[in-house]
Amino acid sequence: MPVNVPTKPVEDTVPKVNDEVAVGSDLEFQYRWWKFERIVWTFFLLIVIADVLGVFGRGPLAKAHARSKDGTIDLQYERVERFSTPSIMTVKFGPNAIRDGKIQLWVSQSVIKQLGNQRVVPQPLISTVGQDGILYTFPAASAPASASFALEPSSPGVFDFALQVPGAERLSARVYVMP
Amino acid sequence: MGGALRGIFGYCFLVFMTRIVGRRPGKQMEPFEFVLIFFMGGITLTPMVGDDRSISNAFITIMSIALTHFLMAWLKQVSPGFGRIVDGTPLVLFEKGKRHIETMKKMRVSDADVMTAARNKGITSLDQIEYAILERNGQIVVLQSEDSQ
Amino acid sequence: MATIIHAVLGYIFLLLSVRVLSRRPGAQLTLFEFVLIFLMGGVIILATMGDDHSETNAVCAVLVVGLMHRLVSYVKSRFPRWDEWLDGVPLVLLEQGKWQTDVMNKMRVQDTDVMAAAREQGVRTLEQIKYAVLERNGSISIIQEKKSQ
Repeated sequence: MPVNVPTKPVEDTVPKVNDEVAVGSDLEFQYRWWKFERIVWTFFLLIVIADVLGVFGRGPLAKAHARSKDGTIDLQYERVERFSTPSIMTVKFGPNAIRDGKIQLWVSQSVIKQLGNQRVVPQPLISTVGQDGILYTFPAASAPASASFALEPSSPGVFDFALQVPGAERLSARVYVMP
Repeated sequence: MGGALRGIFGYCFLVFMTRIVGRRPGKQMEPFEFVLIFFMGGITLTPMVGDDRSISNAFITIMSIALTHFLMAWLKQVSPGFGRIVDGTPLVLFEKGKRHIETMKKMRVSDADVMTAARNKGITSLDQIEYAILERNGQIVVLQSEDSQ
Repeated sequence: MATIIHAVLGYIFLLLSVRVLSRRPGAQLTLFEFVLIFLMGGVIILATMGDDHSETNAVCAVLVVGLMHRLVSYVKSRFPRWDEWLDGVPLVLLEQGKWQTDVMNKMRVQDTDVMAAAREQGVRTLEQIKYAVLERNGSISIIQEKKSQ
């Protein structure tokens, strides 16, 4: 059985140059495109500069520093984190954080879950689960002492987290995790 | 979910970047432009895979890229305006012994590039060229003037 | 920040190594040269991205590569000297029946490469070739003897 192939007569649909060469160029569009291209490149340059500065994380502007008023905790963290990219958060303890040769530090659940805490250095003596977070107990001889958290955010978004030495002031901060 | 979205985003981003970086691939492609394309493609690839090196993630990402490509081709066919944005239009570089200076400058095509295309067709000098057209795929097509043949 | 520096350095390094590796890639790309380009690009990509598999990082790195490319092509079109350094100049391989042996050895082009380009244009024997030119994009263009056409 012959197949009925649909056809259409060939027409001169492509615009011509000088009525001889069919090119289909569109200079008017091209000029608009060039204008657009300039805008886009300027925009790209701005993005790259912002990235060098650390607006999107991993740069000078992303570094943040917070301190509780009673001086128990001094926190250095990244204001802008990146999804599944390692970073370090450092907590420095003041002299009044040490009790009986130990330091206790409570961290909110978001540090473990959304910010993806991989490990704590030094290794805590005891980790107690509960109260929307984890209570770490570190051995400590004298101040200044510090502990580091290796973070690797597990999902993009905006997260609040908090740290507290039991009985002292709570320190909370906000972190933006870029995709 | 994440894999598919990353695939679609990566595809659209790369299409846009290659369009905006300029149309000089194809016949005019210099070795370095090859490297550039690998470089860009490879960088876009890293977040697509991320830490999920499972075969299901690879399949889903590839399928989402293929589907986006299919959609893109379909849109180009249905809407000429969209095709013009994605592919651009052919541009006339030489017209009856006249150069379109601005087009050549903006597209970064030099006389030497036109002459390369001309030599490939066996044309030996610039004045034998009647038309030179920069095609949408970056190729320069040269039409020889009749009296010099 | 680190990614941007790596991307800029990677771009420059690739540009130089591809340029030094000669102009054999491009139109004359053999399988081996493909592998080479993939390999170099891949290694640089690994170094550029590091352990940061985020979308933000990839977008910024690609933008940097695009901007670098834009900058280099602007420099090339503004200063012809730089253009010669970065892309080279066309070279004559065969002139009026004489092989330019020095050029051929240094550019690692063999007479079979020239013949391959000639056959593509339907030229059967070496005698019919008047000029053979190694173009900047790595292709070889053939100009035939007038009477043999």
